[in-house]
Amino acid sequence: MATIPMTPAELDEPKTSLWRDAWYRLVRNKLAIFGLFVIIVLAFAAAFGPYLTPYDFLSQDLDARNAAPSWAHLFGTDDLGRDVFSRVIYGTRTAFVVAIVVTAIAVTIGVALGAMAGFFGGWLDRIIMWLTDVTMSVPNLLLVVVINASLKAPLAAWMEAQYMATLNPFFRETIWVDFILVFGSMALISWPPYARLVRAQVLSIRSRPYITAARALGLTTRIILMRYVVPNAVGPLIVSVSAGLGTAMVLESAFSFLGVGVNPPTPSWGNMISDGLRVWQHYPHLLAAPAAVLGLATVGFSFLGDGLNDALNPRGSK
Amino acid sequence: MNAMTMSAPERLLDVKGLSIEIDTRRGPATIVDGINLHVNKGETLGIVGESGCGKSLTMLSLMRLLPNKIKVKSGTANFAGRDLLTMSKSELRKVRGGQVGFVFQDPMTSLNPVMRIGDQICEPLIYHKAMKRADARIRATELLRLVGIPSPAERLDAFPHELSGGMRQRVMIAIGLACDPELLIADEPTTALDVTIQAQIVDLVKELRVKLGMSVVWITHDLALIAGLVDRVAVLYAGTVVEDAPVEELFANPSHPYTRGLLASIPKLSDVAANRLSSIGGTPPEPGRRPLGCPFAPRCQLAEDICRQSVPPLEPLGGSGPHRVACFVAQRQLEAA
Amino acid sequence: MQGEPLLKIENLVKHFNVRLGAFGERGATVHALDDVNFEIIEGETLSLVGESGCGKSTTGFTILNLHQATSGKVIYKGENIATFDDKAMRPLRRDLQIVFQDPYSTLNPRMTIGEAVGEPILFHKLCTKAELPDRINRLLTDVGLPPRFAGRYPHELSGGQRQRVAIARALACEPKFIVCDEAISALDVSIQAQIINLLLDLQEKYGLTYLFIAHDLAVVRHISDRVGVMYLGRLAELATREQLFANPLHPYTQALLSAVPEADPVLEKTRQRQVLQGDVPSPLNPPTGCRFHTRCPIAQEVCAQTIPEWRQIEPGHMVACHMVPGGLHA
Repeated sequence: MATIPMTPAELDEPKTSLWRDAWYRLVRNKLAIFGLFVIIVLAFAAAFGPYLTPYDFLSQDLDARNAAPSWAHLFGTDDLGRDVFSRVIYGTRTAFVVAIVVTAIAVTIGVALGAMAGFFGGWLDRIIMWLTDVTMSVPNLLLVVVINASLKAPLAAWMEAQYMATLNPFFRETIWVDFILVFGSMALISWPPYARLVRAQVLSIRSRPYITAARALGLTTRIILMRYVVPNAVGPLIVSVSAGLGTAMVLESAFSFLGVGVNPPTPSWGNMISDGLRVWQHYPHLLAAPAAVLGLATVGFSFLGDGLNDALNPRGSK
Repeated sequence: MNAMTMSAPERLLDVKGLSIEIDTRRGPATIVDGINLHVNKGETLGIVGESGCGKSLTMLSLMRLLPNKIKVKSGTANFAGRDLLTMSKSELRKVRGGQVGFVFQDPMTSLNPVMRIGDQICEPLIYHKAMKRADARIRATELLRLVGIPSPAERLDAFPHELSGGMRQRVMIAIGLACDPELLIADEPTTALDVTIQAQIVDLVKELRVKLGMSVVWITHDLALIAGLVDRVAVLYAGTVVEDAPVEELFANPSHPYTRGLLASIPKLSDVAANRLSSIGGTPPEPGRRPLGCPFAPRCQLAEDICRQSVPPLEPLGGSGPHRVACFVAQRQLEAA
Repeated sequence: MQGEPLLKIENLVKHFNVRLGAFGERGATVHALDDVNFEIIEGETLSLVGESGCGKSTTGFTILNLHQATSGKVIYKGENIATFDDKAMRPLRRDLQIVFQDPYSTLNPRMTIGEAVGEPILFHKLCTKAELPDRINRLLTDVGLPPRFAGRYPHELSGGQRQRVAIARALACEPKFIVCDEAISALDVSIQAQIINLLLDLQEKYGLTYLFIAHDLAVVRHISDRVGVMYLGRLAELATREQLFANPLHPYTQALLSAVPEADPVLEKTRQRQVLQGDVPSPLNPPTGCRFHTRCPIAQEVCAQTIPEWRQIEPGHMVACHMVPGGLHA
């Protein structure tokens, strides 16, 4: 018999919060834990990798060009004799920086607009939703190419002028132009899904009885928003952000691959794949290394996102 | 004893030792624990219990319609000579909607919103009775008339959202009756309806039962509702039948402490107003947390040591007769008397 | 009735504007509440009964200004609170509380029981932070929950326990008046009895006034001092419990009482029930005259034409029906 005798001790279960329950469900999901592990390893590499790698990602060793993987060069070297392992790790940093900054900007814009649209409704809702639809209807790639083509040269020139005027070395690093353009254009196309999600969440939460109950207690709109609406809306948002980080990494690689993202010599998985693709028949490791890491990162975020989704929205429980 | 025990009535449905388990985080937990139930030919059986007692799952399991994580662990369910739980899928399909009709609680969600109601009634007729479409529509019109829907021919082409809740439940009943079932299982069919509409549906089922000579199982949480509707009542508590008796006997002489508590906690319209209702303290055990002995023992004021150690069997009160109760104390009190 | 009126509801009207059609091209008005008049006496339990869509819940919501009244007055402490905005209502929310039907969805799933009960106390500054745990313990004990539940989350509680929490939360502001909006309808029978008893105990202890909204007449009979019967947004009858159940005057009240099943098989098999035919008409397009005339067994021509007057038949017994003879002139 599968019955468990009921004892007073069992009735006094330790208290569990919804968050803790979700965490228990997450750690029991093997794929999600695998994803989390991959992400932690990559994040560690992104944060500390450059200090740990034996080579600088820019240092060239022209005697050892296109070397196959060995103990000295785990992933081999490229056509300038640079250590591919170090470059992949530095590319991880690029990917994480871009993904985190872009997602942060997109989530901020999306949450603010979505929450306003959902909570206030009316004409504000209509305008914001119109803006969302328009943004979503513009082809992503085209927008990024146009922004790059039209803004890159003026921005670089402006930086140059600033450097000449102030001699501040910050302005000599044209690498910032790349980043600003990548961040800006990607954030511009990434916020609408967050806005839609948050609006839908707020609309549905706004009609829940516990909001009416809170109003009946006389609580102010601000308290209701902060203590009732937001905490109940973050679950789906966390899921969406996790998936969004993965998507942002893929986007960054795709743009760099096409030459409208991060430009050489700054390593990015995308431009490394692009370089590797030209010589893959002779030196397959140049393509395989960045592609494998990109694949791993995508899979990691996707597994974690799925796991979070199952953990935060358990089906069949009340 | 009365006449019912003299001539043993023919059993249409006979469920023996049915146990149902659910998969939980802590492993499998018993929800229904060795239930014995039967329905005689032409009889109306009321199954009464509170939410979570397993009354709906029992009936769903007979049609093998249980959700994924819930499984039948043991038991047999003999229906007209065959075991519903082991018969082949093709046989089962003939039983579902054919020999056994179902009416569910919520007429809003149990009808397909994008299909005209005529088509929904015709579907079992075409499938089970191999009727031609035109014949099926004629039969569907008859069925709608039977369940008291005005101008039935025009209503065939209506969509569910064009009908009121009461009308939709009548349509559900028409679908359940479409193939002249021997058994109609109604799972809380009036819970979602207003009291005046509920009265209409109860009267309808009473009338149809006589007209069509079928057996009915009426699942409900409302003891008052079935008082005037059924012949026999089975009271379920935490996945076991605690009492099973002819309806007059059950109301006149409730023997299980749970049945007594349940009856006492219903305010009666005809009562002189009392100030406090008697209530049963505590809450039913959760699945997987069933006590060792009688499931009601933790809430029972009469519970003794034996109640906490072993499960009382469902046995005829006083040794014979149709009134059966699963309670050590009630059985002993009768012996002493 | 003896005693002072706590709340006076005068000609209260609530219409909802809705948009119909696939593109919301047609505007329409739901006549949820039309010209409702009654008083709620301090310390009593007044019940409103009726079928879904009769406007009983809308009445409760509009009295508490959770719905803005379309017209009419709700007089509390000499002021018409129906016109108050959120800010003006805030101090009054302490006095006027509500307990909802569904205990599964009226508690914020992310807040512990203690936080939920403590929130209104802190918000209305009813005690200091140091006194708060004590206060919460006392409230939980009041509603029959062990104080250690304060650290738990709503999903760990049963339906009956959650409803106790919702009641504790309403009590936290030390209200004078509580609307119980189908507060026991979602609960199991044996749990219903527990909650009814709890509500009665609390009323006695704190001198509360209840507006009890329900559809179960047996429960209503059990706990009410006076009962109002509503049909399609209007009051049909209002009387003391004894008057209403012994001498129902409105044909709808009579039908409603007759439709309630009794837990007595012998009685059920012999009694003649008066079963109403047809369904409740849509509040989008309510019938003219008396709104019940389309289903009324004794309706005459006049019923379809003129709205029946809200009349007093005997002291404390009000009815709106052309066919009820007599009447007192106040």
